[in-house]
Amino acid sequence: EPVLSKGNNCLDAAKACNLNDTCKRFRSAYITPCTSSTSNEICNKRKCHKALRLFFDKVPPKHSYGMLFCSCRDVACTERRRQTIVPVCSYEDREKPNCLNLQESCKKNYICRSRLADFFTNCQPESRSVSSCLKENYADCLLAYSGLIGTVMTPNYIDSNSLSVAPWCDCSNSGNDIDECLKFLNFFQDNTCLKNAIQAFGNGTDVNVW
Amino acid sequence: RGRRNQKGKNRGCVLTEIHLNVTDLDLGYDTKEELIFRYCSGSCDEAKSTYDKILKNLTRKKKLVTDKVRQACCRPTAFDDDLSFLDDNLVYHILKKHSAKRCGCV
Repeated sequence: EPVLSKGNNCLDAAKACNLNDTCKRFRSAYITPCTSSTSNEICNKRKCHKALRLFFDKVPPKHSYGMLFCSCRDVACTERRRQTIVPVCSYEDREKPNCLNLQESCKKNYICRSRLADFFTNCQPESRSVSSCLKENYADCLLAYSGLIGTVMTPNYIDSNSLSVAPWCDCSNSGNDIDECLKFLNFFQDNTCLKNAIQAFGNGTDVNVW
Repeated sequence: RGRRNQKGKNRGCVLTEIHLNVTDLDLGYDTKEELIFRYCSGSCDEAKSTYDKILKNLTRKKKLVTDKVRQACCRPTAFDDDLSFLDDNLVYHILKKHSAKRCGCV
């Protein structure tokens, strides 16, 4: 049986996108470069990233977040959600670099450097706050997170049964920097502020902020 | 005045839209995604160019050997933006020039 058989929130978000002229246009504008193979590569990653940044810059959050942060109950839904950014082109790579090395290459790029800083500021967890966020502002956290899509630090969901996310890197070969590397990676993978922000958007429980 | 009334009766060539499932298009895709399909419809009886006028006159006077010469048709003169969707097997597809953006009698 096909993976995507029943209806779900991520499907509803995709439908809503294609019925909106702006969302439809910018969606196709990234699907095209992200799925067009070149002579020796799966795609032109640079063009795919650029079009993804444009999508999240230009399309109202109602539609762009709708597809990226939709809430799911089954694999058909989570798989569709994982495919939103066309991970085979924008995310995956032949090798997984060390996260600290990836962070170094991010810092060499103006856009990546500033967006990563925004992410660390706006999605900082704080266990004593009601929202689990130090900044108590889910919208700013989601904006910072989605801002990373289309940079070398592009994050995505790592499995189909949780809201765990990570950039395409791991902490093998970290040597003495293993603690620093895990701290960096866990800020993505195990971040209650970010998880609560995604959940609140998906459930529509934080409606006044959008 | 009579002429204006006649014009009103003949709904001109206009862009019309309909909300469809991608599967309604019968292009062979398995997906639950949807789209707005825009098409051109209406009459092009008002001869636009001198060429159209001559054709009309010659047809009326039965001076043409064949009746196969066509009057102007209501057709897209520009197409809508591309449409992309994810199919049931998690493969993306893109439709180009599938939907009208502007119509004209051509």
